[in-house]
Amino acid sequence: MAEVSRRDFLNALGVTVGAAAGASAGILPGPSKAEAAEPPKGKIPDTPYKIGHMTFFTGPAAVLGEPSYKGHILAAEEINAQGGLLGKRKIETLKADEAAGTDANVKELRRMKLSEKIDLFTGVISSGNTPALGPVGEELKLLTIFVDGCTDFLWDKAVPNPHYIFRITNMQSADGVTCAVATAMTWPQVRKIAHIHPDYSYGRNARDHFTVAIEKLIPGTKIVYEGWPKLGTTDFTSHITAVLAAKPDLLVSSVWGGDYIAMYKQALRYDLFKKMKFSSTIAFGVAPHAIGKDHPEGVIAGVHSNYYFNYPPQGRWPANDTFVKKYYDRWKEYPNFQSEGSYVTLQLLKQVIERANRLVGGWPDDEAIIALLEGALTVGPAGYLQMRADNHQGYKDAVTGFSMNSPDYPFQILDPKKIITIPIRNITAPPGWGDAHGKEPTATYTWIEKTWPKVA
Amino acid sequence: MDVLIIHFLNALLYASVLFLIAGGLSLIYGVMRIVNLAHGNIYAVGAYTTAWAVGRMLGSAPAITLYALLPVGAVAAAALGAVLEPTLLRPLYKRAEEYQLLITFGLLLILEDLLRLIWGPYPLSASSLYEALGSLSIGESIYPTYNLAVIVVGGIAAAALWGFVYKTKFGVILRATSQNMRMASALGVNVNRVYVQAFTLGCFMAGLGGAIIVPQQGAVLGMGVDALVLAFVVVVIGGLGSLEGALLGALMVGVVREFGIAFFPEIELAVLYLMASIVLLIRPAGLLGRA
Repeated sequence: MAEVSRRDFLNALGVTVGAAAGASAGILPGPSKAEAAEPPKGKIPDTPYKIGHMTFFTGPAAVLGEPSYKGHILAAEEINAQGGLLGKRKIETLKADEAAGTDANVKELRRMKLSEKIDLFTGVISSGNTPALGPVGEELKLLTIFVDGCTDFLWDKAVPNPHYIFRITNMQSADGVTCAVATAMTWPQVRKIAHIHPDYSYGRNARDHFTVAIEKLIPGTKIVYEGWPKLGTTDFTSHITAVLAAKPDLLVSSVWGGDYIAMYKQALRYDLFKKMKFSSTIAFGVAPHAIGKDHPEGVIAGVHSNYYFNYPPQGRWPANDTFVKKYYDRWKEYPNFQSEGSYVTLQLLKQVIERANRLVGGWPDDEAIIALLEGALTVGPAGYLQMRADNHQGYKDAVTGFSMNSPDYPFQILDPKKIITIPIRNITAPPGWGDAHGKEPTATYTWIEKTWPKVA
Repeated sequence: MDVLIIHFLNALLYASVLFLIAGGLSLIYGVMRIVNLAHGNIYAVGAYTTAWAVGRMLGSAPAITLYALLPVGAVAAAALGAVLEPTLLRPLYKRAEEYQLLITFGLLLILEDLLRLIWGPYPLSASSLYEALGSLSIGESIYPTYNLAVIVVGGIAAAALWGFVYKTKFGVILRATSQNMRMASALGVNVNRVYVQAFTLGCFMAGLGGAIIVPQQGAVLGMGVDALVLAFVVVVIGGLGSLEGALLGALMVGVVREFGIAFFPEIELAVLYLMASIVLLIRPAGLLGRA
């Protein structure tokens, strides 16, 4: 393979920083205003449209489940205020606690379909649950739009040819790769790398994809320590001491939620951030308002490569301005990526149902909705979201950024002038690449390993 | 060298809190023969209450007075215990042990939901107390001063408990009741009162553990269940019902976990259970347990 410089390769990936990304904000696809105001065609039943929303209402992951549910309710209330879907069918939400465990969740999905007769199943946070729930959704012929549960494994292996199920948030591999790209363009001098990741699929995935990408972008790096705390750990003193002893140039982490808050506060007292660079895949993704002003500034503070509420910036992307304002007015807090994901799920569903109604009249059946969901392009708060027709995966630009204090917020935020975005197609395996082979973790992993050049 | 010292201090820190939780669990079992599965969330109640109290007073009171709020969590946990024992547990003593397991497990779940209901899903922080003490130098490294304070409190608690159980009249009654409840009762000991006192003391210890560690770690949902599992590892190693066993178990868990993370990080999840399994194979009653 010909030698490529790092700068040329990052340019080829389409990485942009800050304001440049909003430049195309003027072009809004979707129904024009006149079209949207058209009354629905044919006879629409006025029975409620029942949606099962499964997410974490208890346990440590409720920190993600709560915003997911709030985003869903916000969208449902908005739609219901207009009379419901197609002005007639009010959305009725049934909630289910994902913390019940995978087996119980599968049973609950069946129960909701068979006894409660739900029309749509949505939500789901954990990567451990979507691969179990996906095949059941297919089997029940139940229209399903997962908000998260972002494992590559869902489409690589569990449901390679989906018909009824879709997913909104970016795939998990994007987290590690986005973090590596941001690191390589910010600190190309790092060589010795330490890792701390929660010991479950998300942490393993983040470590693997960061590592395969960084080896292409900064050849010759070395891992000097890897810590694997259990998910839910809030004592990181031992990991911090071990990292400091290994003297790395960079610490990479995918620790999230209350765990992350404990970790960064403890690391501060050991001066860890003064002794090395720090890159996270998800530090600011979970509960924006829980990050204190004491958080180190200028570190890469990822948002699960999906969304942070101050990007696209105020005034540049109306869909985000109105979403953040409505969400704050309703819940008195700022939305995270789950809020955005479950909000855009219902907005997308609404648009698709309206489009289908204009085409076929009356209430569209699921097949019509599915046909239009495939390949659908919508404008969400985070930017354009395209539903890939082949694997039913929502695609939007991957996002990360740098932490900073701002007098405008009582917590630390991402620097709106330095947000990094990467077109998602450039960092995930393209259609037809095939699934993961052998021992390699994901299709994207082999795709990066085999097709990306090592930069010189 | 300084790194080694810090590793030892980290191990002591972990052991201190773990001893408070497991010691309370073991004390309750020793006296009352009840495996209190709700114990983990009693610890969480201590953590949440202190974090909440500190959060409310933050800004309106000087930092130094905030340290006075630390015991609030322990007191709340003790009060909770004093209410729970006579109302929920006492009616069950005459029934089979399974009922106690069911009711304390149910209580664990209810407390978890109550924490969620009262304080919401987001983590609570009391880190201003952790930060205000700063860090001190150990060789070329630095170490958070607050951690040392936790170790000291853990040590004092262990000593006080030992003195209480072995050097006071109440301790004699406690031990007598623990060894033979019927005999103690026949000799005029008010067993009901001893039970409520022992249960309250056990809950106080768990609450104290939560209260002193919350400035360093924050309060999160699920912390109680995690702590319960770890406390069981400790009592399996040390012997259920033995306070010395809880101390030994907590120290062993602290040291093994610390050096596991430093030198064999891949097996962090497994190493404690591995140790517990080995102890179970060699001494099923635990290292200091009564067979």
